[in-house]
Amino acid sequence: MKMITQIVRKFGTFPFLSILSTFVLLVSVIIGVPQLYAEGTVVVYSGRAERLIKPVLDHFEQTTGTTVQLLTAGSTELVNRLRAEKARTPADVFITNEAGALELARSLHLLQPIRLPAVATTIPKYFRAPDNSWIGLSGRMWVIVYNTNMVDPLTIHSLLDLATPSWKGKLAIPTANSEYLQAGASMVLASKGERTANEFLQGIRDNAGNEVYGKNRQIVDAVAKGKVSVGIVNHYYIFRHLAKNPKAPIAPLITDQEEGGMGAIMNVAGIGLTAYAKHVPAAHQLIAFLISPTGQEMFAHINKEYPVNPTVKTDPKIPAASSFRASSIPLTLLAELRDPIIQEIQRLGLR
Amino acid sequence: MVRHTRLTPLSLLSLGIAAFLTFPLAYVTYSAFTGDLSQAGALWNTRLPELLTNTISLAVGVSFTTLTLGISTAWIITRYQFWGRAFWDWGFVLPLAIPSFVLAYIYTYLLDTAGPVEQTWQWFTNSDARIPSPYSFTGALVVMTLNTFPYVYLLARAAFQNFNLSFEEAAQATGATRWETFWRVSLPLIRPALVASMFLVVLYVVSDFGAVSLLRFQTFTYAIYQQITGRFDYQSAALLSLLLVGFALVFLFLERWFRKQSRFYQTSGRVRTATPKPCSMTQSLLINLSFGLLFMAAFGLPVFLLIQWTLTAWTNGDVGTSFGTYIFNSVFLSASAATAALLLGTPLAYLASRIPSKLHVACLQGAYIGYVLPGPVAALALLMLFTDVIPILYGTVFVLILAYLIHYLPAGLQAMEAALQQVHPNLEEAARNLGAKGIRTFMQVTFPLVRKGFFGAWLLMFLLCMKELPATLLLRPIGFDTLAVRIWLEASEELYQLAAPPALLIVILTIPAVFLLSKKNWQAG
Repeated sequence: MKMITQIVRKFGTFPFLSILSTFVLLVSVIIGVPQLYAEGTVVVYSGRAERLIKPVLDHFEQTTGTTVQLLTAGSTELVNRLRAEKARTPADVFITNEAGALELARSLHLLQPIRLPAVATTIPKYFRAPDNSWIGLSGRMWVIVYNTNMVDPLTIHSLLDLATPSWKGKLAIPTANSEYLQAGASMVLASKGERTANEFLQGIRDNAGNEVYGKNRQIVDAVAKGKVSVGIVNHYYIFRHLAKNPKAPIAPLITDQEEGGMGAIMNVAGIGLTAYAKHVPAAHQLIAFLISPTGQEMFAHINKEYPVNPTVKTDPKIPAASSFRASSIPLTLLAELRDPIIQEIQRLGLR
Repeated sequence: MVRHTRLTPLSLLSLGIAAFLTFPLAYVTYSAFTGDLSQAGALWNTRLPELLTNTISLAVGVSFTTLTLGISTAWIITRYQFWGRAFWDWGFVLPLAIPSFVLAYIYTYLLDTAGPVEQTWQWFTNSDARIPSPYSFTGALVVMTLNTFPYVYLLARAAFQNFNLSFEEAAQATGATRWETFWRVSLPLIRPALVASMFLVVLYVVSDFGAVSLLRFQTFTYAIYQQITGRFDYQSAALLSLLLVGFALVFLFLERWFRKQSRFYQTSGRVRTATPKPCSMTQSLLINLSFGLLFMAAFGLPVFLLIQWTLTAWTNGDVGTSFGTYIFNSVFLSASAATAALLLGTPLAYLASRIPSKLHVACLQGAYIGYVLPGPVAALALLMLFTDVIPILYGTVFVLILAYLIHYLPAGLQAMEAALQQVHPNLEEAARNLGAKGIRTFMQVTFPLVRKGFFGAWLLMFLLCMKELPATLLLRPIGFDTLAVRIWLEASEELYQLAAPPALLIVILTIPAVFLLSKKNWQAG
């Protein structure tokens, strides 16, 4: 104590404090450096809204005792982070809101095959990578949400209809950065060709004008409030909104069902095992839990998504997967088309 | 007058610091011009006109409104005696405690379709009338104005307080009216302060990321962040950044130039300042009414809503124990960064003011680069540096602290420079003649004299770090969320109640710093 008083007297209070805090800083850096997590920890990079994934991860922590370290950001942002970190990534698994980002990570050699027998037996081939380095966890449809007071659903047959001038000023769309928009447009490109995709993007850009939203939630909200009459969103946002406000004047519309049409646009939220995962057993444990009936039921009931495990039932409130025809374009194509579609979106100046 | 000096260890040190601080810009320039430029060309044609118009019009608009609000509040408070003056004197600094993105999310709630303001308006007018959308230029203008006018107020108030009354008296004696005197004498005389505050405001506006993205108003910094996070298009982001840097540099040089001009206006002899004029009852009432409205819009109402939402979240059991961690993370990061910045900034500011050789001045100017480089870009440059060159530190708080330091040291440097300039070199020479060595002179003579100025610099940097968002989002270690990050994650989902507790905490934690800042006598130059 006496020494401290002497030092303080010699240097003055403020330099003393700064020297002290530098010391604290250095110590903390040294402590922080080896960011090594104990066995029994799994480090998760997640591109899904925390609200949609945290309850499931919390449940996993409680039942298994394995600690989950979660970092939430955008899916593409996390691919970039994995790409920059290379072998030094702390991440063990990578959860995303759509398949394109996972396939992109795989094509950049950032993922490794998941060696779990349960994967091949529970998950349909369509919902996983050829080498099982990523698997779908829950399905979602990119559908139209419309205001039931303002729109007659019989007038819309295809998603492409929304690009016609009659919807000018009545449409809400996600931002150019939305992985859903990119994936949806890629699907149009794959099934209808470049010209139609181009017209579709141009049309929705002009029709939406300023009604460009960062979040699906906000689009559903805008439609419910009658700010716009239609929007394009993932189906579960509509049902989540209806669960909270049963009287909201909104409904989903599944389009493109005619013979030879492109089918409803389906995508998956999924998980990949990173190429440099440091805790593979714990990561396997987490993946096994997420595809088990318990994990899948949480996605189905809390989030109103489509479970990928066929033994788990879809929430009764949402249209059964057997009641409509989904697009047959393989999800792996999403990564390949990503660059061309982003360039097109950028060239057309979507916001 | 340029003096050539030999390279002392101290100048080598400051050269090293400056080199480190300018590294991100060097990296950005390098990546802007390597590789295929065709994709960037497309961006040029499609996005650039909109981004340019939006950014410039917002900067000009906010400058205009903040000048109007800042000057008029400062003028009334320094020149009139009215009821409540003591409160308003520091009350108008309080809005600085609210981060721009918190104000933005509150205003999106208030002004949205079928939001409280629209409902009240419709009930009041008994109609279906719509109010302007907050997701527009107007929305961004209102939020940024309310958030930044205190900078103008602070500097204008200090200028009016240190203002020599004789000039005005001379003008009035020669027949000028009060109005003419204000426009042609008083305002021009505080021009250095106004330019300095415009410097703060404009740089704040163009580098803001949180508010414009919540208000969906496309400016440069927002577009740059999107380029980095939405695609791996670092080149376009880098090009956009360089453009923004160019824009800011022009501004920086203008500000420096005006500062040099300001030396003219300093007079010797005793400065006589104005005695506030007493107001009538009605005037007093009017002033309080208009001040009250402004204060409610910028601080009162937002804080009221935050408290209300926090209480709701509290009763719903949404406020967990993890908040202790978020508070610690925020305070720890900001305090470390501010301290480190002070330590690194001292040699730069000291050398440039005492031995203004070309090298030293260049080092100091180099340090200012960090302020004009958008946060997300500097963050990505650091990420690359640490993963490729110093991997052992990657993923630690250290990287984040450095990002803060690079971005906010310039804000502190301004105050440090000003403080050092006020110490006459004669005092130091006297100490040296008496046999004290360099460091001892600094510690025992210089430092005690600049202590207050340095503390002000520290506070300013601390305050800015507490509110930092884009670099924190990109560089935070896993599980190391700060209060700002929590607000962001919840607010971008429009979960107002969940975003409120961390927002209220930031406000509470920064109020003391803001209060101390308001007590400091700010002088430009």
